[in-house]
Amino acid sequence: MEQLKIDFNKVIESLKLSDESINYRNKNFIQFIENGFPNKRAEDWKFSDLNQIISSNIENLRLQSNFEISKIDETIFIDKFLHNKIVFLNGVISNVDFSHENDTKVLLTRDLNQNENFNEVNPLVSLNNALTANYIRVTVKENYSFNKPLIIYNVTTKDLKSTALNLKTDIVLEKNSSLKVINLFDDNSENNFINIVQNFDIAQDATLKNYKIDHKINSNIKYCYNNINLEKNSVSENFIFSTGSKFIKNEINCNLNDQYSSAFINGILNLTKSQHHEIKTNINHLAENTKSYQLIKSVLNDNAKGIYQGKIYVDSKAQKTNGYQLSKALLLNENTEFDGKPELEIYADDVKCSHGATSGNLDEDAIFYLMSRGLSHQQSKELLINGFLLDAVEKITDEEIKDLIKKMIGITE
Amino acid sequence: MLQIKGLKAKIDNKEILKGLNLEIKPGEVHAIMGPNGSGKSTLSNVLSGKKGYVITGDVTYLNENLLDLEIEERAHKGIFLAFQYPLEIPGVNTNIFLKTSLNAIKKAKGEKELDAIEFLKLVKQKASELKFDEKILSRQLNVGFSGGEKKKNEILQMSILNPKLSILDETDSGLDIDALKIVSEGVNALRSKESSFLIITHYQRLLEYIRPDFVHVLINGKIVKSGGSELALELESKGYESLS
Repeated sequence: MEQLKIDFNKVIESLKLSDESINYRNKNFIQFIENGFPNKRAEDWKFSDLNQIISSNIENLRLQSNFEISKIDETIFIDKFLHNKIVFLNGVISNVDFSHENDTKVLLTRDLNQNENFNEVNPLVSLNNALTANYIRVTVKENYSFNKPLIIYNVTTKDLKSTALNLKTDIVLEKNSSLKVINLFDDNSENNFINIVQNFDIAQDATLKNYKIDHKINSNIKYCYNNINLEKNSVSENFIFSTGSKFIKNEINCNLNDQYSSAFINGILNLTKSQHHEIKTNINHLAENTKSYQLIKSVLNDNAKGIYQGKIYVDSKAQKTNGYQLSKALLLNENTEFDGKPELEIYADDVKCSHGATSGNLDEDAIFYLMSRGLSHQQSKELLINGFLLDAVEKITDEEIKDLIKKMIGITE
Repeated sequence: MLQIKGLKAKIDNKEILKGLNLEIKPGEVHAIMGPNGSGKSTLSNVLSGKKGYVITGDVTYLNENLLDLEIEERAHKGIFLAFQYPLEIPGVNTNIFLKTSLNAIKKAKGEKELDAIEFLKLVKQKASELKFDEKILSRQLNVGFSGGEKKKNEILQMSILNPKLSILDETDSGLDIDALKIVSEGVNALRSKESSFLIITHYQRLLEYIRPDFVHVLINGKIVKSGGSELALELESKGYESLS
């Protein structure tokens, strides 16, 4: 902590900020220092002691101090389909490319909005507010639909070590607009802490599709916080593909603020070795006739640990809410652990809310059936696991992205 | 083709098969009939390699010790079990499964694997022979299939894989008369000098359509009587009681 304080002052000095901004960052940093990295005594972190995970995986954590733009290796870009790009390279924005869009319909802002209030104290969001140096806000104008998806690349190179990166992007969808975003990690670095905060404001009749892909095996520790505000008749579809990092916690706070808004959060944890991944969701039904749907499928191997904490809150105003969540986990080894914590907090009386959770091993009879048709044990296992995961992948409504994720999992057709 | 001598099988310390002898020659169709709990399904499980049994006795298949072979090796060498209760496999496309299965067997035999087009042609032909709606094949394996569709799917797999020894475990159960005819025609179409069948059933009904060369009565883990196809009719009128 002492080292981080020293680093903080140096970083703030080097960024040459306005007094107002320094003040804002100081306030946030103090809030972080007072709380520190969350540990298992905090209810939301009881299955993932981040403080302990950081101290046992990262020696001498330092804050990012290099903000120079370097050149990206373009071969890492997805070539399966055309797309717009924002590239974070070691925490610095190195490319911004919206060449597939009408530039009068897309507004890009690099000045940090310092008036945001997440209505809860989250020390990692405070840390992010205090230190984020490369910020971008994308505003999609009224009635405009993106022609191509936006991929936000998060690339790290192997010279990055023991560093805390704090990245922030905001997406604003004005009325009746639509956008597909893919957050794609490409980690070539080791033992860093990457803290990402994203805020999505989705206005009336707008549609956001938000896909998060953490696929490349790496030893980084990550926290991704998404805050999503949904207005009348708007839709947010989210998919989390979680399989690459040593540790990652994806937290989504979703506010269904007005009638007929809906949120879908589906995802996959596919883990091996000592990977430890968590998905935590808070769905807040704050208006009538709002809908939420969540399906999380986990496959755990070796001594991996998976966690899904899903909370559905239904305000007393939110009559006719339809909320659903289901978690299914395959534990392929007795050393694996899956923790599920479903929570329903309901203050309205005319609602439909349900949750379910199962965990178990592969069905031996199914393996026998497949092997009796000539498949090897390994082939049978893979077929069953892919079939198990496919259920969640099929929820992705964008075909290009669905295919991309299927290929990454190794599902062939 | 298959010689079974003194076969005993135990599961959870309970002896189910208690010294079973049976010989099947190439081209022969054998039927095994018996009451519930006599060990019919255990026999088919043991022959196809299901784990969990303690087995003694000798089983020779094509001059090899069958009991030494893994489940998939038995399939590679031409053993096929049509399941009494085919499993539902969510998320696995039926066509992909069929292709994976056929090519795994072809690969093991050192034959050329089929590409997607060759495979589709084969499936189309076999499916139409069995009056099987091809559309079903693009669905998840057995998921939401009716009882009849599941059984037809087993016979479709059998006709695609073209096994040497097919074991049909109560394939007739749950089939209506039309489906029974189609399934039987599928089996009869596969009969040849080289391929043999072991048909396990409760009832004589199936044997009206697939005429066996031999009928064996399995009671309490042993074959108590063997005979020609007329034995099935005798059982139908007198019941198993008369033999036990």
